[in-house]
Amino acid sequence: MKTISKVLILLFLAALTLSACAPKAPANKLEAIKSAGKMVVGTSADYPPFEYKDEQDNFVGFDMDLIREIGKRMGVEVEIQDMAFDSLVAAVEQGKVDVVISCMAPTEERLQKVDFSITYHIQKNSFLTANESSLTLASPEDAAAYKIGVQTGTTLDDWVTKNLVETGKMLAENVLRYERADQSILDLQAGRIDLVLTDAGPAKEYEKTGQAKVILTEKLFETGENIALTKGEAELKAELDKIIQALLDEGFIDKLAEQYGLE
Amino acid sequence: MTEIFSGLIPYILTGLQVTLEVTVLALGMGFLIGLALALLRVYGGKASSSIIAVVTMVIRALPHILLLLLAYFAIAAVVNLTPFWAGSLSLAIISSAYQCEILRGALLSVGAGQMMAARTLGMTRLQAIRHIILPQALRQAIPAWSNEAAIVVKDSSLVYVLGVPEILRKAQYYSARTYQPFTAFIAVAVVYFLLTFLTNRGLSALERKLRTPG
Repeated sequence: MKTISKVLILLFLAALTLSACAPKAPANKLEAIKSAGKMVVGTSADYPPFEYKDEQDNFVGFDMDLIREIGKRMGVEVEIQDMAFDSLVAAVEQGKVDVVISCMAPTEERLQKVDFSITYHIQKNSFLTANESSLTLASPEDAAAYKIGVQTGTTLDDWVTKNLVETGKMLAENVLRYERADQSILDLQAGRIDLVLTDAGPAKEYEKTGQAKVILTEKLFETGENIALTKGEAELKAELDKIIQALLDEGFIDKLAEQYGLE
Repeated sequence: MTEIFSGLIPYILTGLQVTLEVTVLALGMGFLIGLALALLRVYGGKASSSIIAVVTMVIRALPHILLLLLAYFAIAAVVNLTPFWAGSLSLAIISSAYQCEILRGALLSVGAGQMMAARTLGMTRLQAIRHIILPQALRQAIPAWSNEAAIVVKDSSLVYVLGVPEILRKAQYYSARTYQPFTAFIAVAVVYFLLTFLTNRGLSALERKLRTPG
């Protein structure tokens, strides 16, 4: 009798341990995304044509179409979570979102906090002036003589700081930093600044809507747009890189860029 | 021009519900927490009173947007809150610090003699607070409190940094899409003005209605 109860207790304990192990926790972010069937994507939806909201309040744009295609190929749904651009890196670092797609380039500062996929798109940059301005630039460095507006924390902010201010060509107080690109355009129209430096895609939109005019478009640096993900998630990075490479090879991304008027 | 009434305003108003929800949650929870804090601060022991004094001082000393980001990224690393709840709760905690001070002032404005008189009549401290002190103090608090209510209406715009789609964030979406920031922000300014105006009107009506008779 005693042995039977002992065996029963042992069996019971064994069953308990086994059942406790059964729903195995996902080993990494990629598995977690796949088992949830959903990838949470952070973006700052105020930067057309990359990410913005249409009249029906849907997230649309080049980046949005691209990440939905990536989600489709991973076999998961894509849930977009909008927030201010400055909060995005912290959000993916903390795991609040799984990845970030927001026209973001891998700067040194960002690379200390998050990892990036391979580059999916490179675009040029443009200098804008007010419509009535007669100012012209022969080269990007000539901008050093004028008051210039950039979006704060962007690669363009870095470029102006490193190439124009730190080399002594330009006075530090002549760089005005804005939280969002549209604010710099307002100041350009008001005459508080002479130039706005921004990405070529949005610059074209400003020109098209008659808000400002493009006077110079150049490739200022080699880094392009990449998807940010939590540090150390090698499996997720490999999956994203594989899909992005396939989309580049198939010409899907080129076609998408053309559709949104990007070069 | 027609686009403003057919496109812009309906679009911004889709964020109104979120703005109202955040405001009501922050004000309501802030009131409950603030009242508890104020009672402990005035009638609690020395220790609880001084702890609360320090906490409310720290909260009132920091920019609201900073507290909001701290709550979302630091505290929420432990508890995973959605941006909406993280935003509303942080605003409630911020508001509770201000409401605590408002209510403390109101509690102290009721003469100390009243508490003594109530105790002489055989009421417990709790009974005296509930039936004698609070009804007078809460009336006293309404003018200062309606100022705080107006501030919370406006502070609800801060949750946009976490991506909560309230009316200011909606205006930003519109401005980004149409490249017309000026019209979008004027429209949202009008909405905020109406909200605070109506809040203050409602609360002054309440103040008149509840005025101590005689």
